[in-house]
Amino acid sequence: MNHRNTTDLVVTGLAVVEAEGFDHRTALGRRGYKYLPLAAQYFLAAARRAQDGPGEAAREATDPRRRAATVGTNSAAVALHAAMDRTVLEAGADDLSPLTAPYFSINTYITKLAVEQSLKGFNITCTSPRTAGVEALETGVRSLAAGRADWLLAGATEAGLPPGAPGAAHSEAGAVALVLERAEAVAARGGTALGRLAARTFFLPPRTAAGPDGARRAADRIAEALAALGHPEDGDAPVTAVLDDSPVGRAVAAALGDRARPVPAGAGCLAPLRQLAGQLTAGPGPRAVVTAAAEGNVGVCVTTAAAPGEPAAAPEERAAGRPATAEQPADAGR
Amino acid sequence: MDDVVITGLGVLSCLGSGVEAYWKGLHAARSAPRRIPAPNADMPHPSMYLVPDEDLPAGPAEQDGLPLGRGSQFALEAARQAVADAGADSLAALDPARVAVSVSTGMGDADLHEGWRPAGPAGTDRWAPAFPAAAVVAGWFGAEGPSTSISNACSASGYALTVAADQIRSGEADVVIVGGTEACSRVAMACFNRLGAMDPERCRPFATGRRGTLFGEGAAVMVVESAEHARRRGAPRAYAALAGSGWSCDAYHATAPEPTGAEIGRGMRQALEEAGAAPSDVAFVVPHGTGTELNDVVESETLATVLGGTTTPVYNLKALVGHTGSAAGAFGALTSALLLHHGTVPGNVDIGEQDPRCTVSLPTAAAPTRGRFGLVNAYAFGGNNISLVLQEARL
Repeated sequence: MNHRNTTDLVVTGLAVVEAEGFDHRTALGRRGYKYLPLAAQYFLAAARRAQDGPGEAAREATDPRRRAATVGTNSAAVALHAAMDRTVLEAGADDLSPLTAPYFSINTYITKLAVEQSLKGFNITCTSPRTAGVEALETGVRSLAAGRADWLLAGATEAGLPPGAPGAAHSEAGAVALVLERAEAVAARGGTALGRLAARTFFLPPRTAAGPDGARRAADRIAEALAALGHPEDGDAPVTAVLDDSPVGRAVAAALGDRARPVPAGAGCLAPLRQLAGQLTAGPGPRAVVTAAAEGNVGVCVTTAAAPGEPAAAPEERAAGRPATAEQPADAGR
Repeated sequence: MDDVVITGLGVLSCLGSGVEAYWKGLHAARSAPRRIPAPNADMPHPSMYLVPDEDLPAGPAEQDGLPLGRGSQFALEAARQAVADAGADSLAALDPARVAVSVSTGMGDADLHEGWRPAGPAGTDRWAPAFPAAAVVAGWFGAEGPSTSISNACSASGYALTVAADQIRSGEADVVIVGGTEACSRVAMACFNRLGAMDPERCRPFATGRRGTLFGEGAAVMVVESAEHARRRGAPRAYAALAGSGWSCDAYHATAPEPTGAEIGRGMRQALEEAGAAPSDVAFVVPHGTGTELNDVVESETLATVLGGTTTPVYNLKALVGHTGSAAGAFGALTSALLLHHGTVPGNVDIGEQDPRCTVSLPTAAAPTRGRFGLVNAYAFGGNNISLVLQEARL
């Protein structure tokens, strides 16, 4: 394993794919994708678009064993599971399609991507409402810091919930994909970066959130996370809050107060990453996304968009005030 | 950096509830699949290795308004055991922000959801497919560090363990309650039946007559922390150290293993290298060994190459507890920790005639460990591979 003391990662590509109007034949190709579940189609399309232009060459220049992917989802497989279960209930397991049967397992949703782009470092799928995409970023960045890969495709994907399913009224569908690379490597090839990001998650027990101390506890933990991620302490940097109306969501909303721009949460984990993608293309400067779910999981992500055409600086040039750095202790060798 | 050690164990399986029952069960080497309790399980082979009825947790049916099914209840029970084993009082005294939770599952509380479908609308929006197993453990303990559910199918909880070690080594957490849980699911069972990957009799990895795998349900949860932290808080013991890990992806096929074993071999070598373990130091292997045709052959051949021969004892865990899905990596690690702690490799279940292509050593008599390390493999659909190396440890 290739241990590094610090890891300066930059975002070199991103894409957002909306479910509305999506056609797999147009987005992916005429053959080979028909039986791929929708959420897998969305993420594959987003992954390809995120590498448009020089991005594909950058991937190809990286050893396949050093390429990796992390994806977050909550409900990507719910509609498929429901359809499969209906088949079993009405006709029995023998009527299931052998072409779709493997996709009962949520981690297979990035297999096609891994095969097409030869991502042999690792693939990780995180599952949770609201924060899974942030967890995918957090886990991916931490894993690169630990030396497990050099090139990362990270993001979130969701498919629509079937009618009547819990949360169907707030169903989400689509995907967000981001490419992260070591700044040093991007600078060496004269590439540019969209910016930097860093993510943290924590848990606010629902009963704590609902108690009299819930908002203060949420405020303390968010402040800790923002500070750890390098978000400016002056309070002027924009914060977007993707929250539901649960006790956890209300505690986080109260903790953020007027400084946060509220955005309604969906049933999945897509909205926070949509906001994050928007921040990275909204002009230079630090911003943050905070999101939380009724189950207690809270995600905080800080972005620092680069100026258009800004080169990805070498790590030593950004040693001070770097917001998006995953750090390992100097003696972290295993 | 100090070692990351396992200081608490909790387990629920077809062998019963608790570490003592599990250890006795490993030595007894007897188990049998039963028909799953899911209604309308219209499929050719509806059996798996179930948790005995008398050992099923009494609940809870919900926590903080979140309805819970079998998978979350298993995880909670195993977590309670692991925390008690690791020293509940000193863990409860920790800053909750320094305690993280990671519980992997593929199908989560499928029994709950699959019960709703024929019965009509659930009547609640408080539902998530996989995350409740982690949320219920974090909520019960009051943990405020990251709470994660990695869903890498049958290698998921192996990944969760190494992510937990990364969290400790990077300073994000002092203690991680980590493991996996899986319970019977009509959908998962039906899909494996349709794929022709379900053995109609029993789980018998490496046997000539194997015809697929057979699921097992349960949860395996561990408390992990640095050895220095464990000593400082007065932890009763360390079962083993998480000495090395190797991640890889076949990037080959949705379900089939890559036939040369290149990537699983890379994972094993990387884990051994990180641990500083030579092949001759490996006391035993807890393989992925599912009973599926190609997996067992490729894993056997690769083990022989990586370990330089076929004499290292292989502990054929799934032949006893079945394939526990996302919990399989945690079951392998927990079992490996117990073997190292007791210095004994229990005798294997007799699988009948061994496939001559699977040249692994499967002793049926218990024997002392000869070496300080145990190698654990966990592989998954999508070619998501992980190898772990555990090492003997004392506080």
